[in-house]
Amino acid sequence: MTVNLESAPAVRGSGTPARAAASAGRRRFGSRAGALFVTPYALFVVFVFAVPLVYTVWISFHRFYFTAPGTHVDSPWVGLSNYRDVFTDPVVGQAFLNILVFLVINVPLTVGLSLVLATALNAKIRFRSFFRAAYYVPYVTASVALVAVWQFLFGSDGFVNHLLGPLAPNPSWLVNSHLAMPMIAVFVTWKQLGFFVMLYLAALQNIGNELYEAASVDGAGRIRQFFTVTVPGVRPATTLVAIYAIITGANLFSEPYLLTGGGGPDNSSVSPVLLMYQKGIEQAHPDFAAALGVVLVAFVLVVSLAARKFTERGN
Amino acid sequence: MTASAKPPQPQLQPQSPPQSPQSQPQAPAPRPRRRVRPGRIAQYVLLSLGALVFLFPFYYMLVGSFRGTTAGDLSSAVPTGLTGGNYSAINGAISLGRSLLNSGIMTIGVLVCTLVFGLLAGYALAQLRFRGRGTVFAVLLLVQMVPFQLLTLPLYVLVVRDYGLGDNYLGMMLPFAINSTAVFLFRQFFLTMPQSLFEAARIDGASELRILFRIALPMARPAVLTALLLTFIGPWNEFLWPFLVTKKSTMEPLAVSLASFLSNLQGTVSNPAGALLAGACVLAVPAVALFVLFQRHFTSTDIDSGVKG
Amino acid sequence: MLRRTAYALLVLATLAGTATACARTSPDAATADRARGPITIWLSNNAQEVQWGDAMVAAWNKAHPDQHVTAQQIPAGKTSEEAISASIIAGTSACLVFNTSPAAVPTFQKQNGLVPLSDFPDGDAYIARRSGALADQYRSTDGKFYQLPWKSNPVMILYNKKLFGKAGLDPNHPQLSTYSQFLRTSRKLVRSGAAQAAIWPSPSSDFFQPWYDFYPAFAAASGGRQLVENGRADFDDPAGRQVAAFWRELYAEKLAPQEAYPGDSLADGKAAMATVGPWAIAAYKDSVDLGVVPVPTAKGSSATEPTFSDEKSAAMFSACRNRATAWDLLKFATSSAEDGRFLQTTGQMPMREDLTTRYASYFKANPTYKAFAEQARHVIEVPNVPGSVDIWQAFRDDWTKSVIFGRESTDAALSDASSQIDKLLNEYEGQ
Repeated sequence: MTVNLESAPAVRGSGTPARAAASAGRRRFGSRAGALFVTPYALFVVFVFAVPLVYTVWISFHRFYFTAPGTHVDSPWVGLSNYRDVFTDPVVGQAFLNILVFLVINVPLTVGLSLVLATALNAKIRFRSFFRAAYYVPYVTASVALVAVWQFLFGSDGFVNHLLGPLAPNPSWLVNSHLAMPMIAVFVTWKQLGFFVMLYLAALQNIGNELYEAASVDGAGRIRQFFTVTVPGVRPATTLVAIYAIITGANLFSEPYLLTGGGGPDNSSVSPVLLMYQKGIEQAHPDFAAALGVVLVAFVLVVSLAARKFTERGN
Repeated sequence: MTASAKPPQPQLQPQSPPQSPQSQPQAPAPRPRRRVRPGRIAQYVLLSLGALVFLFPFYYMLVGSFRGTTAGDLSSAVPTGLTGGNYSAINGAISLGRSLLNSGIMTIGVLVCTLVFGLLAGYALAQLRFRGRGTVFAVLLLVQMVPFQLLTLPLYVLVVRDYGLGDNYLGMMLPFAINSTAVFLFRQFFLTMPQSLFEAARIDGASELRILFRIALPMARPAVLTALLLTFIGPWNEFLWPFLVTKKSTMEPLAVSLASFLSNLQGTVSNPAGALLAGACVLAVPAVALFVLFQRHFTSTDIDSGVKG
Repeated sequence: MLRRTAYALLVLATLAGTATACARTSPDAATADRARGPITIWLSNNAQEVQWGDAMVAAWNKAHPDQHVTAQQIPAGKTSEEAISASIIAGTSACLVFNTSPAAVPTFQKQNGLVPLSDFPDGDAYIARRSGALADQYRSTDGKFYQLPWKSNPVMILYNKKLFGKAGLDPNHPQLSTYSQFLRTSRKLVRSGAAQAAIWPSPSSDFFQPWYDFYPAFAAASGGRQLVENGRADFDDPAGRQVAAFWRELYAEKLAPQEAYPGDSLADGKAAMATVGPWAIAAYKDSVDLGVVPVPTAKGSSATEPTFSDEKSAAMFSACRNRATAWDLLKFATSSAEDGRFLQTTGQMPMREDLTTRYASYFKANPTYKAFAEQARHVIEVPNVPGSVDIWQAFRDDWTKSVIFGRESTDAALSDASSQIDKLLNEYEGQ
């Protein structure tokens, strides 16, 4: 999924002359330690991720609902019927469209803003700690808390509309079917930006000063340096940022659930995970929810691959 | 070492705009000393505007939580008529101390697990060869793609019904115990370290564990801090999972007890909106305070990635 | 990459398959029905109800030290149904929940989460003795009672007398009886600047929101019909259409906002009216001077018209091992004396037909509640049919589209909702 996935330097793993002899040549070095180190994580993944995932996939091919323990109800195999229900449900189509709208706004905004801010923060400036903390505050705060504040700020009788006066949109921000999803995209961008700034800051550390020096000797100004040195230099991080933003977007739940009153107005900000919640938990149709979830995971895989192709162009 | 890559400034004519890409340096630039340049001012303006946009909602939350009446109009951003009533309302309804303790236990447990096991896994994936490495890495990516809500119900049934971990700290932590995103970050970070760093130690016969904790870890401080912060907010702010797992109110973490307080605002408090904001503050302030404390440790300009390209 | 992922999944699947499960067992019904011992009960998190519950449990424990009862609040998120449903699946429910929404009962039943109260020897007789004909709406489709209809909160119009005065309206004789009067009054309230909204029900898409805008008005307009009658949707008729048109008018003229209020609009003086049950009187008594009128109809409202009950039942859950104790406690908690204390403490209406005569002294002392008690004799319930939640969600989706946001005519929306609900009913029938 990411760059330099296996772009290990040629030295890596070729074994060292000193110890290669010891390991009968076939076993690659570090292999026992490696397997051992990964074991706890692997076990964790099996019990917390694989078992429920397989269970979910199994559910998606049966007519199924959860019952009290010890009671038996039939869960007949229904083949693709749950998937057919998913694909014929008009709201599902709307939900995926909404996610696309979200991504088109959120991903470029996130990548652009976080890179620019990280670059600005990477210089020697005063109050750096303060600025960094400022960008981090929304990220560490619970969604529930921030949503409450945004509702006050962007409500029809809220702070922002009072500022704008007659320029306020009608219907207001969060109940306008054209604005609700963009609002969520902006909210999420704002909330998550601190984390991405941090990723970029870490990546900027790895760009050698001499590259900038060389560029400035070639007569590049700061803007030019930004585009010729910084942007290519943090490309791996950009892929990472884009993919995380996509995953976050595809798994949108609490924002439409809380900020726009359950995906309103009129489903214009409904998200697949919100639908899963409604169907699976509120309406006791875990089979439909499971099928929708499987479709969603496939969707995320496809979009992420596309994003990777896009961000790595020119490599 | 390479603390902040500040590109040296080409020497500029005072009149020419600094951004002009045509500006030709006549000579290697001397480091400018204490000269306020327009570029620098622009930088401050940009950062300050950004900070304002990012901090204002937070400020609004804080002020709103202390006001006797909270409404949407402009006046509500002005700190007048302050009272602590909203907070005492919360404290009367839920035992704050107990909830904070539960949140703390859950969060610290997750942090410890992620640090120990995540570092091991991240290091192995980046620097060691073993059979199945590609597979584990593929799984690592897949885990992050799958929305947690998809697995919530089946996982809940497994954890509470089959593993028998309802109303139990272990059950609360389990889904978050090892944060895959953190593992991924560790791997990415260790990938940037050249093998040569470790070769010498390996030749001396040091065990991989020793190499990881003695050589790799000290250099990985930024990655560790990033991962810790990233991991911290998950369990701290998580609502749905602990809500499902806990049935006893004495086991509820703060996010859950606040939610039940908020669902029951009407009729118990005189200013529900203020109480809502106060609840939000109670949840947010520890997280922000922790971050600010943390911040001092690693924004000092000597972040040392230990690697120079 | 993809091949790797597929391979990884395969490995995981094999591993997952080997992770065996040792399921919790459920109690055996025959022995549990006769077993006595300690039990746990859940109460709603309404402060007054908790106060009553604690006192009731203390009285019980004093008389039955060998069958100790522990009371706690439902671990509630946004709705308590989610918490209860989750506890059924895991087998961790309390024995009794004194806050079971009738709309969720069919789902809980389907999950085998409920104990049929009719299976107790005196089950049906007790429920009939206590609630009389009021209980009929709470029978499940198999004819059994899976819930004990416990208390209702008949929904009426509460209005803020001060704001009415501010708008130049007579606060003691409000003109709110017919739709046209209600609209005229609302326009006055908003245009005079007395209130931001005449009335402010939540415009969100939650499945239960129709209970506070459409359903009470429909109950009054249709003479007490349910949303579903005889297995078919039964609201796409002149009565339903008039109700939808009336609400559409309120939204279209901005007398009711299209956006949820972050807080309590009545308490904050943002809305002059609200559709609520008597529980709210205790809640608002310090902040708002309230008056009460019945929900309006086209021809004019009356004190005896039907309205939505907003009822909560008490139900017994199958995770309970000491069901004999639970049944005794249920009867104890709904006895005449306890019902009186409940009314006294919470102001909510126990499901008894002779409410106003049995507790006459209370209503004499609290006249505001008397109007609610009159209405409590004519309440209608949500239909007790499988798929209840889906049905309400389908209805709500069409309602928000047309009535709240006006993107479709209200008549078209009602007929669309009606045919969708019929489809759902057929699907559930076939299962």
